[in-house]
Parts: sequence; structure tokens; C-alpha cells
Amino acid sequence: MDVDTSHKTRRKPTATSGNATRNLGRTTSTTPHASGSNLKDITVLTGTGDPNCLAGLAFVFTGELRGLSRGEAVDLVARYGGRVTAGPSGKTDYVVLGDNVNPSKLAALERHGLKTLDEAGFLALVAARKGQGAGRVDDRTSQKLGKQAEAAQTAARKMDRREEKAAMEQGCASASASASAGTAPKGPDPSAQLWTTRYAPQSLKEICGNKSQIELLQQWLRDWPASLSAGFKKPGKSGMNIFRAVLITGPPGIGKTTSAHLVARLAGYTPVELNASDARSKKLVESSVNVSNASLGAYMAGGAEKDGVKLKDRTVLIMDEVDGMSAGDRGGVVALNAIIKKSKVPIICIANDRGAQKLKPLVANTFSLPFQRPQANMIRSRIMTIAFKEKMAVPANVIDQLVASAQADIRQVLNMLAVWRLSSDRMGFDEGKALGKMNAKYTIMTPFEITHKMLGPALFAPTARETLGDKMELYFQDFSLMPLFIQENYLKTEPSLLRNYDGPMRVLKELELMDKAASSISDGDLVDALIHGPEQHWALMPLHAVCATVRPASFLYGPGLLYHGPRAVSFPQWLGQNSKQTKLTRQLGDIQIRMRLRVSGDRAEMRQTYIPALFPHIVQPLMVVGASAVQEVIEKMDEYYLTKEDWDAIVELGVDDRKDVAVLKKISAATKTALTRKYNSSSHPIAFHKATELGKVPKKLPGGPAPDLEDAFDVDEVAEDASDDENPGKDADDFSKDKLIKASKKKPAAKKGKTKARVTKAKKG
Amino acid sequence: MSLWVDMYRPRALDDLHYHQGLSARLKSLAASGDFPHMLFYGPSGAGKKTRITCTLRQLFGPGVEKLKIDQRVFLSPSKRKIEVNIVQSNFHIEITPSEAGNYDRVVIQELLKEIAQTQQVDLNAKQRFKVVIINEADSLSRDAQAALRRTMEKYMSNMRIILCANSTSRLIAPIKSRCLLMRVAAPDNTEMQTVLTHVSRRAGFDLPPDAAQEIIQDSGGNLRKAILVLEALKMQSPDLSGPLTIAKPDWETYCQKVANLIVTEQTPARVMEIRTKFYELLSHCIPPTVILKTVAEAVVSQVDETLKAEIMHWAAFYEVRMRIGSKKIYHLEAWVVKVMSLYKQSFYQFDISEFE
Repeated sequence: MDVDTSHKTRRKPTATSGNATRNLGRTTSTTPHASGSNLKDITVLTGTGDPNCLAGLAFVFTGELRGLSRGEAVDLVARYGGRVTAGPSGKTDYVVLGDNVNPSKLAALERHGLKTLDEAGFLALVAARKGQGAGRVDDRTSQKLGKQAEAAQTAARKMDRREEKAAMEQGCASASASASAGTAPKGPDPSAQLWTTRYAPQSLKEICGNKSQIELLQQWLRDWPASLSAGFKKPGKSGMNIFRAVLITGPPGIGKTTSAHLVARLAGYTPVELNASDARSKKLVESSVNVSNASLGAYMAGGAEKDGVKLKDRTVLIMDEVDGMSAGDRGGVVALNAIIKKSKVPIICIANDRGAQKLKPLVANTFSLPFQRPQANMIRSRIMTIAFKEKMAVPANVIDQLVASAQADIRQVLNMLAVWRLSSDRMGFDEGKALGKMNAKYTIMTPFEITHKMLGPALFAPTARETLGDKMELYFQDFSLMPLFIQENYLKTEPSLLRNYDGPMRVLKELELMDKAASSISDGDLVDALIHGPEQHWALMPLHAVCATVRPASFLYGPGLLYHGPRAVSFPQWLGQNSKQTKLTRQLGDIQIRMRLRVSGDRAEMRQTYIPALFPHIVQPLMVVGASAVQEVIEKMDEYYLTKEDWDAIVELGVDDRKDVAVLKKISAATKTALTRKYNSSSHPIAFHKATELGKVPKKLPGGPAPDLEDAFDVDEVAEDASDDENPGKDADDFSKDKLIKASKKKPAAKKGKTKARVTKAKKG
Repeated sequence: MSLWVDMYRPRALDDLHYHQGLSARLKSLAASGDFPHMLFYGPSGAGKKTRITCTLRQLFGPGVEKLKIDQRVFLSPSKRKIEVNIVQSNFHIEITPSEAGNYDRVVIQELLKEIAQTQQVDLNAKQRFKVVIINEADSLSRDAQAALRRTMEKYMSNMRIILCANSTSRLIAPIKSRCLLMRVAAPDNTEMQTVLTHVSRRAGFDLPPDAAQEIIQDSGGNLRKAILVLEALKMQSPDLSGPLTIAKPDWETYCQKVANLIVTEQTPARVMEIRTKFYELLSHCIPPTVILKTVAEAVVSQVDETLKAEIMHWAAFYEVRMRIGSKKIYHLEAWVVKVMSLYKQSFYQFDISEFE
């Protein structure tokens, strides 16, 4: 704390200069095209700048930069050893201000005395600042860096010692074994193992992240025998002791299996693992997991320990990759669940996705223990240790880069490094970035995230580096939902394009942008009709992507889309409204066909004129008069063959002041029951029975291809031909019956391609 | 007691009150023994269906009035059940293929073939053919219309088809050329007056001419609506004198509210508010074209003369798109935004297109 304040006071002068540059930034922000020079700077800068010149500095970016995109700026900081945080705090060294910073944010920065830079100032800082050793701050940082390296070295040395010891033990064991049995399976040479096995954590301290979850697991396992004797009735401190099994879930490569094994071993259990490589059908699970008291561990470890290890009655069953129980493993999860219910050994199930449908049976019977991705800094030290041990020079910022690109998948990072080690013993920032990109996982974003990204300020900002292809790619992440999401939410932003407008011009410009976006969405629907209509022009999907998502977003992008409140991205109403419409249309059809014996109108006419006209006869009396009007209402309904369900539908079809809620509120409960009772107690004329009620067998419709429509257009000018024949292939049985079919066979040239369409067109009519 | 509109519906061609020329032609056609396929078209409430039933009666006698409803269930290739209602008598059958949605083509083929393959069983029947009435013919898909054209000629000996549509614009030319076109225009004011007077006389009261005029004005040529309104008014004020307030149907007042929303404020928030209102109307089975037309007319009545043409132009523009496209709300909304933009521009006397 002391150090902190001292360096703050020391940097006071720079703080004022920072202020000056910010003011400069403000003046430049009024002139729109001042960013050209900046762009040149970047390309120069990425190569120059002292390595590690930003080491130990924390940056916060806010507002829109002119020359750099946000991603590039963050990269730049990472490249030179600094770090970027999302929001300013006491530890922030510089706040880099772009354009259009929220004034309240600016005031807050000023209040907390944080140093600010504009973009040019930031670039100048990168260019001018010298790396370690140019001041106390950097001293501190270098100390920290040194400490980090030192920690890595000591850890590596420890690891070495352990390996030696293990080798020695193994040597002894094999020696004694060879003495007794002659031949001995030699333990694998550590250098021949995969890094992931070789550097698998040996103690709980070495596991990256998820400390509390592991503690819970440990406690549960420790208490297990007691819980068993208590009949799983006492929940214990964490509430876990009523479960015989635990379900660990989390993304791949964050040490779920490793932790389970380690915890089991440390608690004195022998882990028995069944994973996706074992067949786990219902039968097999039931037969193979008959472990109750005997330890399989000794058996599995091989002959060497057969008589050396005492058989303990402590086994833990680890069911790895439970969500991989599929196809061949029919009933596996259910069988597993049955076993869990009466197991005499603790069971740890491991899966990736907790919400998976397949795991539903397990949820009630297991304690759910979700593992999170560890933070980058937790992984960093571990990877540094390993790198040191493998004699690789990989700077911390490069490791961070790799971790970020692998999304904290430790296994993947190790594998990447292991492969890299084969060709080189050092990795630069750009190399690390390229490697990370090459191995990047294809992540699927949710439609909500995509909507935020599409309509957010960054994607279409002048500094954005995304190509049209990248933007269209977002649509293809979920092409059925994205157009709906964009349509639902495109009006919720504060468009960035309106920034330079004021007063009436702003209003007009906004409406113009909205108009452009809305008409583009309308275009998109026309394209959609071509894709999903009878023509099935799937090749138009890129056009649909542009019309329905990219183009509307390009007009109205900007900040303003939030995560909650009225401006949050909401799920498209269209889906719900559409199904409601389908349902009500069907009900309206029922009403229409019942009334058909009396009435001639079609469905639309029924809704538009008859229902409003019937309302005063069959609904209003109940609202106004009450129960005494029931008889009269029922008579009217019988006149039109309407049932009670139809009455409900008629009420539901109302809008405005005849909306069903409003109407039903005005009808007392007594009247409603009177209507139902009276209706049910009397007999009514019925127009017809629904086919489904009679159990009629539906007739199958032939699937056959649709007729060629080309001949349906512009036929007027063509003279009617007497030898009118059926379109070949359209209707097979007509084909055989039609005597005139020979006429078409006379023209074999007319069989293919466009000519065929022409000729049929000419002959048809 | 049915509503008047159903109770006093004319049942024979001679009872019809207007379009006498049409009635005479239908009568002679029915007598000629060479009855063609026919296409009745005209606005709702003009009397298409009434004329069709009268013609059938002329052809086959009172037997056609013995109606029976039957429901057929079809199984689509994707195993979805499609229910199609059929109204039939011994001499004719009436279907609404648009009930089958996308499968109207197969349903129509299936049904027509079935009907055409059986001859008239009743030896005493006046005609050798049966009549198939196809309702809502203008919402038949192109595929279905294409399927219909050949069938119409092939099975001519056993079957006549009467199509009933609101407009011929969405029927393909080959269908139109195979039918005798019968335009049933909306009745004019005097014709409506006659019918209304007739109805009121049958119902046992005298209709004051003022009230009649009021009703005719309100109904816009839809006779069904006029008679329904007449009955509603009679229920409200039995003597039908004094100033009458004709209650608009629920959806029409709702459309009016939407129009007011458009004119009073032009912001994104307002567009979203209107969107929910549109959803409400659409989901309650008001056809999108009706919504667009009603709202557009209401907006036009509230804006400057200069804007009217433009607003209607865009309404027509988006109506076409609505018919081609699949998600109606997109086009409705695009129109609303367009109107708001135009409205605001005229408000500021400003043409934004010059500023780029």
C-alpha cells in the first residue's frame, strides 16, 4: 500500500501531461478525419517499441479509438507486457480515452485521479517508454517478474527431484520384481510420455483453479464412510453428505478427471475409472460395476504390486465422460443411476454439459459440482514452470495469449507447447498468436451474444477489422434465429451514425436509418421466401444474411443494447405470436365450418364481421345480464351449431376492448359455471363429428414432385394446342392412361433443359 | 333464431334483388344443359355464395340445400395430419383447399380425382355432372392451380368446377381461360337500400331512410356487414330514430388506435409499441392486408394532402411484398417506419434525401 501511494505521487507530473493530451484529444475529436496519421503509426509501432516496455502497467480502454480497433489496442498492450482490465480501479495506471466517452465516466475518472491518455499519447508511450530498469515502478515489476521466474524454477526443481525419486522407487521395485519373477515391466520413461501425463498435477496445490470445488469433493469423500453408515440421512455442513455420487461438470481440459483421481488417491481410495472407451450399456454397467468392497486398484496396476499392496476396501468409481454414453450405450445412464441409488462405493461422474438432456436422470441423485475455467494467472505460473523445465523461453504474455486462445484449456496449451518444442525452444508474441489462432476452438455463440455483437458499437465502427465475410459468418452461426433476433432488437440501439447530428436533423436522420434498416429486413423476408418456399433456393443464403442481418445492423449499430431492462436483447416475439396465430386460425376454421350450414362467409369474413356481430348475442348478455341470460345465449349458439369450445374461441379472438381477459373479467364466475353446467346438461345439434373423434384412418398423400411452374406464366399469348398433354413425370398414373402422350414422344429433343420448358410451355396453355 | 342475414337470404335466382342481368344469365345457363366451369369473383358481402347456391338450386332442385359436413384427414409425406372440411349435398361438394396450407395441391388432386371418377348415382338427378365448389380460390398456391387446370378438362363429363374468389389477380391465366367469369360487383347504394328495406319489412318494421343511408355509408358495399349492422342497431335502439352511432368492430377501432400512434409520435420506441399491436391483430386472425389497408386509410385521413398519395403508394408497395414474403410483420413495420419518416420530413418541411 505504501509503495502504491508513493509511486502515485511520484507520477503526478505525468498525470498533468496526461490531462493535457486528453484535452488535445477532445479538440481533435471535433475534426472528423484526424486519424490517418495514427494508422501509419501502428504499423510502425508493432515492430518497434522496447520489449516489455509496458510491463507491470494496467490499462483501461474506454470510448472508441480512431486508428486502432479495440482488439488491436489490447494486443499492443499484451505484446509489450502490460495488461488490460475491463474497468478502472485503484491499480489502473492509464486510462486510454477514445471518442464519445460517457461524460459521467469521465467525471468518475477525474474524481479518482486516474491518469488518462488519448490514442496518440498511448502510442507515444509505447514508442518512447523504455523497458525494465527505467524507474521504480519498473523495478517493482522486474522484481515481480524475477520472482515469478524464480518460483517457476524452484517448482521445476521440485518436479525434477520428484521424478528422480519416482524413478528410483520404480527401479527398486522392478529390481525386486525381477529378482522374484525374472522379467519385469519397466515403468515408462518420463521423457517418452505426453506432457499432459508427465506434468499432471501430483498434489492439490498444483491443480489450477477450482479450489473450493476440490475442497468440497475432498470433504465429501472423507465423510463418505460415515455417511454410508448414517444411511445418507445427515446432510453435513455442505449438504453433500446425502448423496452417494457427485457429478462434476465443466468444459474440457480444466482438470476434472485429474482432480477426481488426485482427490481420490489423496483420500486413500483407489480410483477405478470407466470412460467412453469402455462399452457402458445397461447390461455391462450393471455387471461390471459390481464393485462393492474389493479394490480393483491393485489388480489394475499390474502384476508387480500383486503381493506388495494390501487390498483396501476403499474404492471410488469414476465414471468419466458420462455424457458420452450414447448410441451403443443404450440405457447406460439409467443403469448408472440405478447403481448410484444403492452403491456401496462413492461414485464420481464427470461430464461436460450439465444441462444435457441425457444427464437428466442423474441430476436428482448426484451432487452437482460445476468446475469453472481457471483464470489465466493461475495457469500461467504452472505453464511457466513446465516451460522452464523443458528449457523453453516463453514469456508470460505469450502464455497468456495461448491460454486465452485455448479458452483456459490447460491440456490444449500443453499440447501446443509440446508440439512447438519439437521445432524451437522459444516462442515470440506473434508466433504464439498464430499458434493460438491455428488451434482456436470453434466456439458457438448464443443468438443473444451474436445480437449484442452485431448491433453493438464495435462491429461496424470505422476501426473494425471484420470483413463482410466475418459479419455474415455470425448469421450462419444460427441462420434460422438470427434474422428474427435482429428484427426484434434492431430498434433498441442508440445509433452511432447519429453522433454528429443534432435537433431536427437528428430526428430525421434517425428515421431515415430506421427506414433503411426496416426495408432491408423486408427485402430479407422476400429472400427468405425464396429459400424456404417451393423453389428452395438455398444458394441465396448469403444474400439473406446480408439483407436480414448485416445490412440492418450496419445502419443502426451503436451502444445502448443492455443485458436487462427494457433495452435488453429480447427473444423474438415472432415465434410465440406465430404459433398463437396458427392455433387461433385453426379454431376460427372450426367455428367457420360449424356455422357453414347457416352462413356463407369464409374464415376472414367470419372473423371480421360475424364475430363482432355475434358478440352482442352470445357474449355480451353474459357480461351485462349475468346468469339469467344463459338460456338465451345457448339457444343462439345452438342455432349456429356452436359448442362451448367455440364460445371460448370466440372470446379469445377478440382484440382491444373485446380482448379475452377484459371480457372474461366482466363475466362473473357464477355466470361462467352456469353456462358450462347448463350447456353440458342439455343436448345440442351437432353439425358434424370431427374425423379424429371418429378415429378415421388418415389417407396418405403422395409426396411426388411439384409440377413445373414455368409453363404457368405468360400463357395467354400462346395459342391453345389441341394435343394438350400432362407434364411428364408429374403424375405417373395419368401418364399411362393418357392416350395423347404420344404427341410428346414425337419430340425427343424437347426432353432436356430449357428447351423442354419452352416446348411444354408452347404446347400447354 | 338466426341472424337476419342468414334468415332472409334469398334461395332462388328469382328472389335476388340486384344484378338481375347476371341472374337471368345464370338461369339460362342452368337450363341449357351445357353448363361451363365458372369463376365467381367480387368483394366480400356482394353475394357470390348466395348466387352460387341459387344456381345450384336451379340446376338440381331443392336437394342441394340438404347439406352435410364431413371432415377428411390426410397424412402429409412428413406424417403431419391435415384436416380438410368438406360440405356436400348429393349433387355438389364444397371445399376450401387453403385449409390444407402448403399441401393444397395434393389435397385438391386427391379429392377431385375421387369425385370425378364416380358418376352421378342418383338416376333422377337433373344433371349428369356433379359440381365442385372451390372456396378462397385466390389463395390457392400456384402448384395447386397448375394441378387444377388439367383436371378441369379431363373430367369435364362428370364434374363442373365453380371457383369462388375475391379477385382474379392471383389466379393463373390458364385457369381463368377455362372458366366462365362471373363478376359479382358490390351492390350500389340504391340496391343496398332495396335489400335493407326488404329485410326490415320481413323482420316487421319500417326502416327510416336516414338510418339506411347511415348503414350503407358505413358498410362500404358489403351487404352482409350492412344487414348485420342493421340488426345490431335495431337491438340497440328499437325505433332507429335520431343520431345513430354505428359501433365499429373491435379490430377496426384497434387499427384506428395504431394509426393514431403513428401520427402522434415517431420514435423507435413507438415503432416497437406498434409492433406489439400488429402482433396482437395478426395473431387474432385479422389478415395482414386488411390491417394495412385499414391503418393506411386511417393515417391518410389525418395527414396533409401532400402526403396522402405517398403513404398510399408505400402501402401498396409493402402489400405486394407481404403477399410474396412470409413474415407479414416485417413489411407492416417497414411501412410504418416509412410513413413516420415521411411524416416527420413533411413536418420539418425537409427532404432528407438531398443531404448525404
